[in-house]
Amino acid sequence: MSSDDVVILCAAGMLVTAYLMVGQKALFVAIRLYGLQSILLGAVALTMGFADRRFHLLTGAALTIALKGVLIPWFLMRVIDRIGIHREIEPLVNVPSSLLICLGLTVIGYRVSTGLADGGRGVTHHVIGVSLSMLLMGLFMMVTRRKAVTQILALLTVENAVFLVALGATSGMPLVVELGISFDVILAVLVLGILVHRIAERFESMDVSRLSKLKG
Amino acid sequence: MTLLLWTLLVPLVTGALAVLPGPRWLREARLVAGLAVTLVLSVATAGKFLAGSAPSAFDETLRVDGLSALVLVLSAFVGLMSGMYSVGYLRRNEERRRGPYVPRENERRAPRPSDQRRLVPPWRRREFDALVPLYVFAMLLVAVSNNLGILWIAVELTTLVSVFMVAFHNRDTSLEAAWKFLVLGSLGLAFALLGTVLLFASGRGLLGDGMSGLHWTRLMSLAHELHPFTLKLGVVFALIGYGTKAGLAPMHTWKPDAYREAPSPAGVLMAVGMLNGALYCLLRIHLIAKAALGPDFSGGLLLMLGLLSVAVATPFILIQWNLKRLLAYSSIEHVGIMAVGLGLGGEAATFGALLHMTYHTFAKPLAFFSAGTLAQLHRSSDFDDIGSGTLGRTPVASALFVLAAVMMTGSPPFGMFFSEMTILRAGFLGPHVVAVPFFLACLVLLFCGFFYQVGRLVLGEQPDSTARPPDPERFDVGTTTTILAAVVAVVSAFYLPQGLLELIRAAVRVVEGGQ
Repeated sequence: MSSDDVVILCAAGMLVTAYLMVGQKALFVAIRLYGLQSILLGAVALTMGFADRRFHLLTGAALTIALKGVLIPWFLMRVIDRIGIHREIEPLVNVPSSLLICLGLTVIGYRVSTGLADGGRGVTHHVIGVSLSMLLMGLFMMVTRRKAVTQILALLTVENAVFLVALGATSGMPLVVELGISFDVILAVLVLGILVHRIAERFESMDVSRLSKLKG
Repeated sequence: MTLLLWTLLVPLVTGALAVLPGPRWLREARLVAGLAVTLVLSVATAGKFLAGSAPSAFDETLRVDGLSALVLVLSAFVGLMSGMYSVGYLRRNEERRRGPYVPRENERRAPRPSDQRRLVPPWRRREFDALVPLYVFAMLLVAVSNNLGILWIAVELTTLVSVFMVAFHNRDTSLEAAWKFLVLGSLGLAFALLGTVLLFASGRGLLGDGMSGLHWTRLMSLAHELHPFTLKLGVVFALIGYGTKAGLAPMHTWKPDAYREAPSPAGVLMAVGMLNGALYCLLRIHLIAKAALGPDFSGGLLLMLGLLSVAVATPFILIQWNLKRLLAYSSIEHVGIMAVGLGLGGEAATFGALLHMTYHTFAKPLAFFSAGTLAQLHRSSDFDDIGSGTLGRTPVASALFVLAAVMMTGSPPFGMFFSEMTILRAGFLGPHVVAVPFFLACLVLLFCGFFYQVGRLVLGEQPDSTARPPDPERFDVGTTTTILAAVVAVVSAFYLPQGLLELIRAAVRVVEGGQ
């Protein structure tokens, strides 16, 4: 199996985790899926880094696996444990239709990827196709889910998709920038977690559709 | 250490010092002094730029050109105003206690002792003292970073800091506003990040691996080599992303909620600082697109978003029920005006837009401070709770608010009238026969709508004597700062310092000449 095959396999795995997240109602499973997705992202970066001898990718990969694969899922698990809510209520669009819509989004993602530089062929085509589909699916989850934690997961899926685009379409972002971005993502998740906690404390629920007082 | 680094370091240190204990006057003095030094250093940096040398650091990762210098000075100015007003504002809030707890519908909850505690406990006060300089630091970093990656990091930093400001009072509605703001803001920033990645990808390896690959100057110098489709996709994502931060319609929905809930000194940081910073990012992206694809693509997008913002603000100002939300829609209007000016392009319209940015920066603190004072005295920012005829009950704050309203609506003889006229004139001379009259019509409607609301609030009959009277007006720090803001706003409307005009012209040269 060549390194290109490994990259495509991992990228496809990320797309599968995104689909599973859409079809999933138990929050802790969704969080684990996100962790798996991040580890696969790290694997893509590792493989690319070793195969093309671009060793600055390795730092980014290690960071992705440690922070997004382990730390963030652990933190989110703690949040849902603390507030004791484990299941997503019925999403605004039911699961079968969600999956069908996501299928359409994947087609769109792949179609758009052909227009990019070198997007029409080989590994790049698959990686960018997968990442753009994941981006659209993340957005879709964002608008159809009601629990605060699921919205955070949707946001993080979008973030992962952006990182995958960075890997596929460029030779990875400059290292300093990547470090800064990862740091900011961690901070954002911490802040989101704090907010979820405060919301759950005051509203005794983390159903964001209850946050509807402010209008006009 | 160069001057530029000191400019960034001082607010950071001021923020860090805020966690130290100490008597209240010392903490307040430290905050205001730190921000004042920041303003002086920023002006000095801009002065150094005008004197002919372009300050830069870390291999041009930080770099000051005309546009940066202008935004740098304006941000530091707003930071100082906000810091000064926060002293008076928080002193007043510290005296207040939370009102009796009102349960929501279908809620069973025993009253807690915490319901009666202070509105602003001391530790929250310290948190705020740290957040303001940190925010100023992030704004200044936005202004001087030449690297698109660092730019993104700095904008994200402003977002994270402002979430705590919006959630400051920890009411139900504050949490709702903070949540919406953070989710929408993070999504916008994810888009902006994707845009940045795609811009980098459009270089197809020509930009190089290192830090300098994301330098704005490098992208500009290679503009003709960039892959067109990738670039277009990147520009669209980046414009939507940073447009969310600027509050351009249709990504503006976080703005009214966040402005209502944030304490007024934080509100002005967001309404001016974040707006200028995000507009600055939009402009940088627009310039890359302009150099590579010609002015029509991103210019057209900016024009469209700007017109939409002005149009969206109109009905919401007419039906508005809350003072601070009114200011938020007015801010959406103003960012729309600036985007229209930048989208029209050409030297005159660009000059108009940047002039508008400058006048807006000088006038907005007055609007926020007077509205904040009114809301504090009447214990609410909802029109129904304040009641009409405030001029009879709180004359000073009301009069200052009327003055602010005259400026914010772009009435002569104040500055924003002239900047709007400059944009309109440039527009009518250009090819946009539908867009510009539509823009003008919206501006007229907005003018009427805003004055209708202000008239309803300030004039009108006094409510009957059963209503709770407002707190008496006092000449404390808050009022003094508001009067100072009024003086600055009026003076700047008639006299802009020569150096500032030079900066605006230099910024126009950056936009029009691409250097």
